[in-house]
Amino acid sequence: MRTMPECETLFDKARGLLLDPLAGGESLALEFAGESSDFLRFTGARVRQIGCVQQAGVRLTYYRDGRTVGAGFELSGNKKVDAERAARILAEVRRQAGFLPEDPWQVLPSASEQSRGEFPGRFPGPDQLADEVLAPGRVTGEAGADFVGIHSQGAVCRGAANSRGARHWFAAETFCTDYSAWLPGGKALKSSYAGRQWDAGEYRKRLESAAPRLKALARPEKIIPPGTYRVYIAPEALAEFVPFFSWNGLGERSMREGESAWRALREGRRTMSPLFRASQDFSLGVEPRFNELAEAAPERLVLVEGGKLAATVVSTRSAKQYGVPSTAAPEDERVRSLVIDPGRLDAEKAVDVIGTGLYISNLHYLNWSDYDSGRITGMTRFACFWVEDGKIEAPIRDMRFDESIYHLFGDKLLDASHQRILVPDTGTYMLRSLGGSLLPGLLVRDFTFTL
Amino acid sequence: MPVQLKRLLESCVPKGVQWAGLRVVRTSRRMYAAKDGRFDVAFQGFDEGCMVEVLHEGQFGYAAIGSLDPAAVRTAAERALALARAAGPRAVFRFGPDVRPATVLRFESPRKQPLEQAADRLAGHAVKLTEAMRISEKIVQAAAAYELRDVETRIVSTSGADIEQEVHTVISWAQAVARDGAVTQRRTANGWFARVHQGGTELLNLEGSIPEAVQLAGQAIELLSAEECPSARMDLVLAPDQMMLQIHESVGHPLELDRILGDERNYAGSSFVKLSDIGTLRYGSPLMNITFDPTVAGEAACYGADDIGNTARKEHIIRDGILVRALGSLESQARSGRPGVANQRAQDWYRPAIDRMANLNHEPGDSGFEDIIASIRKGIFMQTNRSWSIDDHRNKFQFGCEHARLIEDGKLTRLIRNPNYRGVSSSFWRSLVKVGDASTFAVFGTTNCGKGEPNQAISTGHASPVCAFRDVEVFGGES
Repeated sequence: MRTMPECETLFDKARGLLLDPLAGGESLALEFAGESSDFLRFTGARVRQIGCVQQAGVRLTYYRDGRTVGAGFELSGNKKVDAERAARILAEVRRQAGFLPEDPWQVLPSASEQSRGEFPGRFPGPDQLADEVLAPGRVTGEAGADFVGIHSQGAVCRGAANSRGARHWFAAETFCTDYSAWLPGGKALKSSYAGRQWDAGEYRKRLESAAPRLKALARPEKIIPPGTYRVYIAPEALAEFVPFFSWNGLGERSMREGESAWRALREGRRTMSPLFRASQDFSLGVEPRFNELAEAAPERLVLVEGGKLAATVVSTRSAKQYGVPSTAAPEDERVRSLVIDPGRLDAEKAVDVIGTGLYISNLHYLNWSDYDSGRITGMTRFACFWVEDGKIEAPIRDMRFDESIYHLFGDKLLDASHQRILVPDTGTYMLRSLGGSLLPGLLVRDFTFTL
Repeated sequence: MPVQLKRLLESCVPKGVQWAGLRVVRTSRRMYAAKDGRFDVAFQGFDEGCMVEVLHEGQFGYAAIGSLDPAAVRTAAERALALARAAGPRAVFRFGPDVRPATVLRFESPRKQPLEQAADRLAGHAVKLTEAMRISEKIVQAAAAYELRDVETRIVSTSGADIEQEVHTVISWAQAVARDGAVTQRRTANGWFARVHQGGTELLNLEGSIPEAVQLAGQAIELLSAEECPSARMDLVLAPDQMMLQIHESVGHPLELDRILGDERNYAGSSFVKLSDIGTLRYGSPLMNITFDPTVAGEAACYGADDIGNTARKEHIIRDGILVRALGSLESQARSGRPGVANQRAQDWYRPAIDRMANLNHEPGDSGFEDIIASIRKGIFMQTNRSWSIDDHRNKFQFGCEHARLIEDGKLTRLIRNPNYRGVSSSFWRSLVKVGDASTFAVFGTTNCGKGEPNQAISTGHASPVCAFRDVEVFGGES
């Protein structure tokens, strides 16, 4: 399996293959995304699928005569094959630049900074992988629960460079065991163990801590009628709202093109609670600051503060189009490394503070249900409980909610916990994701459940 | 594919395996997008890699690499074996090589124009289309995109499989966003990248796309002043470009056999359907007929064999409302003892194949569109999916559409904006009361059906006639 230094060598080879042949009048920016990962998928504490994936992809943006052409290809690691692929791609982007319409918002790469971060890790080898991940799962079995999930581990690498000399590299050896423990009646709790240094003892401890929580889940289920309820939304549940800061979210382009559900905040027609403050903050250290044009974003960007929109995320292209400063956002203007400020609530006393209402541990399948009013719908999932007079009474049958961000983070927000959790991004679409969010729990009144 | 894959396989098979296979995938893509009468994106991609699979004492192991270099493939195969060997004592099921059939076949999507020849003019056409859509200052965004994909897959195995498949896909999309003060409305060409079909640019009717896009822009503007969808229970008529989502979320996903077996519980969820329901469950009214059909010309997920080499053919999944078969591959069939279909599919070379939808369709019935409308006293006709959410057992859902008209005393009347509806899958399909005939049938799909751990997204096809459902809860946006 490719090591971090081997990935970096491949990145530098790609830089040479794509940047060295450029002639006068040509510019180029490239980004590299690679991984060497083992995956162990399990169900019932047994192996469903096991394997490994080694990928190294390059995406580039080529500029000439006011034309902009994007392209991408996979690096094989074979010198001859990669040279042929790079040459083929360069020939094609040059050909297309000959007939494409002019790009009205083209901004040539201008960043020239360099950065490098490498974070080694340690985890089980292929011969020990199944035993190390699954053997401790017998703890959940002893509690009467099925152990289901995915373990991924290995090197995850990102790089960016451009024809102005910028070069950025970020590589980390990480692991993540994302799992759930399922009782025979269908109730489950979910958790994860992620980091860079695998500690079998720590892993076992986390699994053992599930047993008392599973006991509460085994109680008879309570059916809650639709209505509004006082709720505590745990950080892992709040994490399901994080994508909505990006999707039809706080990107400048989305605001201008009428798609953002946060437009009412921007236009002053709605406000958020003064308790709610959200920022993009790379000091979390979970992902690189650079984008596909090798621009580095500021370490911190306050997005919402004092009830108002403080900033949008702005790509260089949008900056030109709309005449606003760039925040070196990626082209898709997604919010990265989201941090929501803590409050005063003690999370250990969340159940007390709810009084009577719902403890929401996880949510599922959220989607915008109405953009103009900022409404999001979704389902409760896993270990959500009905709480009465400050005591957990029963797990609930899953409910559908439909609530506006202007209520959730606005007039219905009562407090946030002062403890926060770093919830990693566990997505593995195409590649293992980097990133995560630092989130408190939220106490909210009159949260709307519809079905 | 120039590499001699059989020779490559022979050179890389490690000693001591029951079976080994290579799945090589080569993908070419081109995409063009425009916005507001100007160029936006041009993208060209090329990808090639190899998934090596071995079977050792009943446990599969896999290794995926972006190379066909013999030494690299050999190393990958050794690692796949090491992982399979270590996992063997903890296997959830002991498979045999019979779940990797020795199929020999060739499949290619019919296409009149190869990608390279046809694509160049699309960038300019997208610009023209979006320029035409800017019919008013109220249009704040006019966007269009075209994407062409060629995917070549070659599978060889030690048991004799030799499969070559070339799938050519064309995708088109257009969107108009209109705004008036605090109100925003959007109209798209049948939903988010829902016009995904196998074939070439001959499917794209470029001339006709301009007046159609202008009409979309006009509808977006009309919706600005339309009535908000009422909150009430009424009969619901769904156009094919919303039926596609209804089928996908509340029929397709709950019937994936690996879900029913519990594999997806940690991520995408499980199902309200149990193994014992297969063959007996009344899923919907007697008018409901759902087929798994890899043979519908031009539909997004046609193929000759799935990614483990099982030959694909049309099968009824729900017949006259009764669940007769689940969407389960050879592996799931072996684990469950239930019949299935050829649906073990992978996003690309870098993901292992799992149970997926492919083309999943509602067969036409015998009601004309006018007859369906005329049969309804109080109802609503909704078109084009905009929003979707469903629980992890695939039961409680909430869907939203872009465009609707009330049905009053058998006639289509007032334009409605922000139409949404919610229901429960296990009872919703039993309220199916009318199924449109072939004249109402249309073929759509999606390119981003997500599932699996590690995650993967895949294209699926969904064809359906217009359908009517009795007494559904509908509601609108916040006023």
